[in-house]
Amino acid sequence: MRPILLLMLLAALVQSCIGDDIIQDTVTEELRITSTIDTLAVNDTYQFEGRYTNNIGQTQALPVFWSTTDASILSIDDNGLATGIATGAATVYAEVVTPEQLTLRDSVLVAVGTETVTTISERTGVIRTTSSYVLEGDFIVTQEGDELIIEVADNYRASASLPGLYLYLTNNPNTTNNAFEVGKVDVFNGGHTYRINGINISEYDYLLYYCKPFSVKVGDGQLSE
Amino acid sequence: MRRLTLFILFIFGIQSLQAGGGWPQPKGHGFFKLSQWWIIADQHFTDTGLIDPNVTNGIFNTSLYAEYGFTDRLTGILNFPFYSRAYFNNTVSATTGEIITPGDAINSLGDTDIGLKYGLLTKGPYVLSATVLFGIPLGENAGGSQGTLQTGDGEFNQLFQLDLGRGFTIGKVNAFANIAAGFNNRTNDFSDELRFSAEFGATFWNNKITAIARITGIESLNNGVLPSEAAAGVTIFANNSEFWSFTPEIAYNINEQWGVSATIGTAFSGRLIYANPSYSFGVFFKL
Repeated sequence: MRPILLLMLLAALVQSCIGDDIIQDTVTEELRITSTIDTLAVNDTYQFEGRYTNNIGQTQALPVFWSTTDASILSIDDNGLATGIATGAATVYAEVVTPEQLTLRDSVLVAVGTETVTTISERTGVIRTTSSYVLEGDFIVTQEGDELIIEVADNYRASASLPGLYLYLTNNPNTTNNAFEVGKVDVFNGGHTYRINGINISEYDYLLYYCKPFSVKVGDGQLSE
Repeated sequence: MRRLTLFILFIFGIQSLQAGGGWPQPKGHGFFKLSQWWIIADQHFTDTGLIDPNVTNGIFNTSLYAEYGFTDRLTGILNFPFYSRAYFNNTVSATTGEIITPGDAINSLGDTDIGLKYGLLTKGPYVLSATVLFGIPLGENAGGSQGTLQTGDGEFNQLFQLDLGRGFTIGKVNAFANIAAGFNNRTNDFSDELRFSAEFGATFWNNKITAIARITGIESLNNGVLPSEAAAGVTIFANNSEFWSFTPEIAYNINEQWGVSATIGTAFSGRLIYANPSYSFGVFFKL
C-alpha cells in the first residue's frame, strides 16, 4: 500500500501548485487630444492636452509635439498652449514618438472667432455582454466640475446570478490592470447613476464589467469620442 | 474559491467514496477509504447553461471515508476531508509578462459529513435504506487575501435520502443497481436541493474488478438568495447550482479486504458550476 499512498501524495503536491493564466491584454497604442474646445476667441489662450496610452492601455507621459496648420490664425507653443490670432479655422496636431519609435498623431479642428466656446462634456455608449451572462443597456457619461457622472439607462439589464460583479473605467477592456474601480454592481435592472470624484471625462474610454472572484470579463461599453 | 467547493466536493466526492448502493453494513463490518479527490477548473456553466472561462481554480481533498455497521440495519457514515486545499492561478499579462492578479491558496480541514444509514428493507431481492447526513462546516468559507477561497461553505446542511437497490447476476457476473433520491436542507440563505442518482455496478474477473456507472443530478429549489445578493466573500456559485453528471468508477480488489479505486466525474449539463471533470483515487479496506 505504501507506493500507492506515496503516488496519491505526489499527485496532490504536483497538481495543487499555483500556476499562471495568460491574459491576452494587448491593445492598440493611442494618442488622443483630450481637449473639448470648439471655438477660441481672438487673443484668448487655451491649454491643449494629449493623452498617450501604451499597448496595455496604461497612460504614459511622453513628450507631445504640438503644431497647427495655420499659425496666422491659431498659434500653439511647445507645451500645447494655443492662442487665437485671427478669425478662421486651423487644425491642431499632436504627435508623440513611442519607446518603439512609432509615431502617433491626433488632430482637432478649431475655429477662431469672437468668443471661446467649449464643447459639451458628454460621451455615450452601449453596454454589451462579452460572456453568456445577460448584460446590456445604454449609458451617458457627463462631467460636472470635478465629478464624473455615469448615467445607465432604463434599458439596462444584468444577470443577478453574477457573483462579485464590479464596474471599472479603463483604457484596456481586456483587463482590470491600470483600471479605475468604480465599485461593486448592486443594480441589475433599470436606470441608475454612478458619481465619481476626481476623474476627467476624457481619462478613460471604456466601461468594463468584471467578475472579481473569477477574474473574468463579463462585458464592456466603449465611450464615444 | 467558494461555495462551489463544497457543492462539488459533496457531489463528486461522496458519490465516489461510498461502498456502493444503499446497502447498510452488516453488524461489526465496515468500509474505510483513504482517497485523494481533485478538480482543476478553468471554465464553468453560467446561469444560461453555456460554458464560460474563468481563472483556473484548483480544489484538492484528502479524505477518510468510513461506513461501519452498528447493527445489521444501522450503519454509521463519516466523510472527513482532513486536508483540503483551494487555490487560484496568477493572471499574467501576455503583453508584458507581469502578474496582474497574484494567485492565492489556502489549506485547512474540509467540510465534514457525518450521519446514519438505516436499512428499511434488508431481506429479499430489494434493499431499501434511509440516510441522514449532516454537513458540518469545518472548512474555510472565506479564505485567502480576497476572501474568495473556500474549502467549505460555512453552512450546516442536512441531507435526507432514500436508496433502493437490488443485487443480481448476469451469467457469472455479480451485479447491482441502485437508485436514490434525496432532499438537502441548507441553511444561511442557501437554496435547498433535490438530489438524484442512479448507478449500476458489476464485479467480474474472479471478483477482482468492480466497475460502476453512475449518473447524478442536482436540482435547486431556488429558494435562497441570489449570488449577487449574498454577503461578499462567500457568494460564489453555491446557491442555485444545478448539474447532471456521469461518474464512472473502477475498483481493483487486491484481496478480500484491500483494494484501490479511481473515478472521473464529468458534468454534461449544469448551471453555476465548474465545467471541468473531477478525479479521485483511493485505497479502501473492508472490515
